[in-house]
Amino acid sequence: MFGFLKKAIDGFAKKAEAEVSKEETKENKVVEKLEAVRKELKQAEKIIEHTDISEKAEQKSGFLGKLFSKPDVSAEIRSAPLKEVKKIEEKVGFLEQVTKAITETKISDVHFERIFSALEEELCANNVSLEVIRRIKEKLRKDLVDISFKRGHVADIIKDDLRDEIYSILTSPAKININNLISESKQKGKTFTIMFVGANGHGKTTTIAKFAHLLKQNGTSCVFAASDTFRAASIEQLEVHGNKLGIRVIKQQYGADPAAVAFDAIRHASANRVDCVLIDTAGRQHTNANLMDELKKIKRVAKPDLTIFIGESIAGNDVVEQISDYNKAIGIDAIILTKADVDDKGGAVISAVHSVNKPILFLGVGQEYKDLMEFNAGDFVKKILG
Amino acid sequence: MVLEKLSDSLKTALQRVFRASLIDPKLIDTLVSEIRKALISADVNTELASKIAESIRKRALSEKSAKTLTAREHTINIVFEELTKFLGADIGKLETKTKPSRILLVGLYGSGKTTTAGKLAKYFKKQGQKPALVQLDVWRPAAHEQLMQIAEKVKVPFYGIKDEKDPLKIIKKFEPDFERFDVVIFDSSGRDALNKELISEIKNVRDSIKPEHVLLVISGDIGQAARKQAEAFHEAAGVNGVIVTKLDGTAKGGGALTACAATSAKVKFIGHGEHIEDLEEFKPKNFVSRLLGMGDLETLLEKAKDAISEEQAEKLGKKIMKGDVSLTDLYEQLEAMKKMGPLSQIMNMIPGMGQASIPKELLGVQEEKMKVWKFVMDSMTPHEKDNPDVISGRRIERIAKGAGRPEQDVRDLLKQYTQMKKVMKVMGNPKQMKKLQKMLGGKLPQMPM
Repeated sequence: MFGFLKKAIDGFAKKAEAEVSKEETKENKVVEKLEAVRKELKQAEKIIEHTDISEKAEQKSGFLGKLFSKPDVSAEIRSAPLKEVKKIEEKVGFLEQVTKAITETKISDVHFERIFSALEEELCANNVSLEVIRRIKEKLRKDLVDISFKRGHVADIIKDDLRDEIYSILTSPAKININNLISESKQKGKTFTIMFVGANGHGKTTTIAKFAHLLKQNGTSCVFAASDTFRAASIEQLEVHGNKLGIRVIKQQYGADPAAVAFDAIRHASANRVDCVLIDTAGRQHTNANLMDELKKIKRVAKPDLTIFIGESIAGNDVVEQISDYNKAIGIDAIILTKADVDDKGGAVISAVHSVNKPILFLGVGQEYKDLMEFNAGDFVKKILG
Repeated sequence: MVLEKLSDSLKTALQRVFRASLIDPKLIDTLVSEIRKALISADVNTELASKIAESIRKRALSEKSAKTLTAREHTINIVFEELTKFLGADIGKLETKTKPSRILLVGLYGSGKTTTAGKLAKYFKKQGQKPALVQLDVWRPAAHEQLMQIAEKVKVPFYGIKDEKDPLKIIKKFEPDFERFDVVIFDSSGRDALNKELISEIKNVRDSIKPEHVLLVISGDIGQAARKQAEAFHEAAGVNGVIVTKLDGTAKGGGALTACAATSAKVKFIGHGEHIEDLEEFKPKNFVSRLLGMGDLETLLEKAKDAISEEQAEKLGKKIMKGDVSLTDLYEQLEAMKKMGPLSQIMNMIPGMGQASIPKELLGVQEEKMKVWKFVMDSMTPHEKDNPDVISGRRIERIAKGAGRPEQDVRDLLKQYTQMKKVMKVMGNPKQMKKLQKMLGGKLPQMPM
């Protein structure tokens, strides 16, 4: 799972190195030329001692400035009239600088654009959203373009930058420790309510069952609220899980007001001292205003302590749209991404966190109850970058 | 609207061509790179996007335009054709030759197989065929009940065994019954196509059913994973058609379309809603013109046909020609419009309107208004509806009370009616109509059909 960036980086770094070394072979020639120029200049110095000051000196300094792009200077220097000794010394100093610059290599902006397109492609192919790519690009540009660094270090710099950037995206939202939150509310004698939302078919019901299994293992009692009163057999589905896990399902009939179901479940929980209520809602497209309004109502009635968005890790750029719209409409606190076992493209993880700045709590990684993996930003970055 | 985002960025790219006075290689380069970007950000596989972009570039630079087309139209035509080519040129019709025709649905978890099975049953039923639904998803809790409830809704026979863990047994048990139907639709468990165990199960199921069609159901919002999954499903089950679901959100659909390229199967249907009738035959040409903001009159007309009977349409047409339209007609029209779907969807199908980019909120307001008008008209007497000119003062007061709306709403409706009547008069007069066409025609893009 999630090994995707390793390959991308290697390819990118190779390309970058290749570009740089292409430039280097050019530059090596320049260095040779420079050595020649230096010799010429030394000779010139000797001659200068016996010569008058030339008026054309100013012009020459401009000419030397172009040395980088015109390696063939020595011939011209040779034929050039001699100059003021002071100016010559300055020029020698300048030459030293140039020499240093090319042994350490630089990447120009044009250059960078060319190299980056390869990485961009690779990131795109792994579902990293365009916004995130833009951000990574800026960071890399800042650290690579027009900054001198030792040859052969390009790959390291790129890797470090990517690691830093992705890590900072993933760790920027405040962490949520569910167990702590629940035990706090337990101590206060309150019922902790979690509402699960998301698009159709992204695995809300399955995830809720996995989540309840996890809570049960930690000694937290739960009750399900079957607030998906729309989809065929959604209630039966939740009941099957409830039976298997020994968790009570609070339900009404299909077509009932989902907010009322949630309310019933919360009442039931507080009357029976159940620690946690998990509200299953019907999947809906974020563009459907009426259904989003319904969700707002459930939230208003249930007043959940946490609202968790459930999305697919295999989703493409649309995940950004979905999650942002959900956040705008009802406000979400955390994210769980499902189906992470299906594909190793982890871009959606980064895109999702970046779009709303909310933490990812878990990843769904299989069909069993135990297949809910706690998300760890450090591990994730290590995995994708190697 | 389906594929809204992709269409937005493509529209921007094309807008440049519309505006440019001269089409030069530089402009084509920009256009091609925008198209490529638009496709990638719509989750189209990166390689495929480059391929499409490249072929557009090549054709745009090398091919000379036909004399009847301007350079501008020619370029747009190429974009249109290349995109259509990638979607497949033919209408996604599902031809059933065998009887019963067996259709097996396969796909990832949560891509919408069961819902689609129900929609398909409804589709065939509407065509006058006799479909049946069979549940072979033995893994997901309550999958049995889900399809059973859907079958009840569609009113078609349902076959399945609760808690049976072997799909082959289910097939065997009901095999003799299948002969009675025209179409038998088999739902299967959602699976990860790279999971060997599940794939061998689907192979066995396939061998046992011997389906005429194996349809891959794929979610419109799937990303770049689409290609691998589609390839794996294709290898295991021999996919010969694709149904793209959840295209009612902002899903880009690109990943799903990549799947078509990977399986060389074409999209047959698209799902665009939660309700059982939200399934549409896929028409690549119309789809692309809608995508490019060039309108989709064909679908619109078809929808209109579904909504209004021919007789009604003819009667209304005559009335419009005469400029003699009453509120009763307006009422009927509103009803028909409602049947055709949300205003925003209709607008996108009208050529030129897609580009007019009417803000969504405005359409929402308009829809709200239309609802109110209906309430108001419901409180009118038939005489008032047929002769709206008689409505004044006290009648307005009475109607407003009856509708439970402020009097302003009644006045709004009457104002709208007078305006509409004026427009109709123009439309009924051929001379004036030509003028109108000229006015609009300059802005309307040609439909390259």
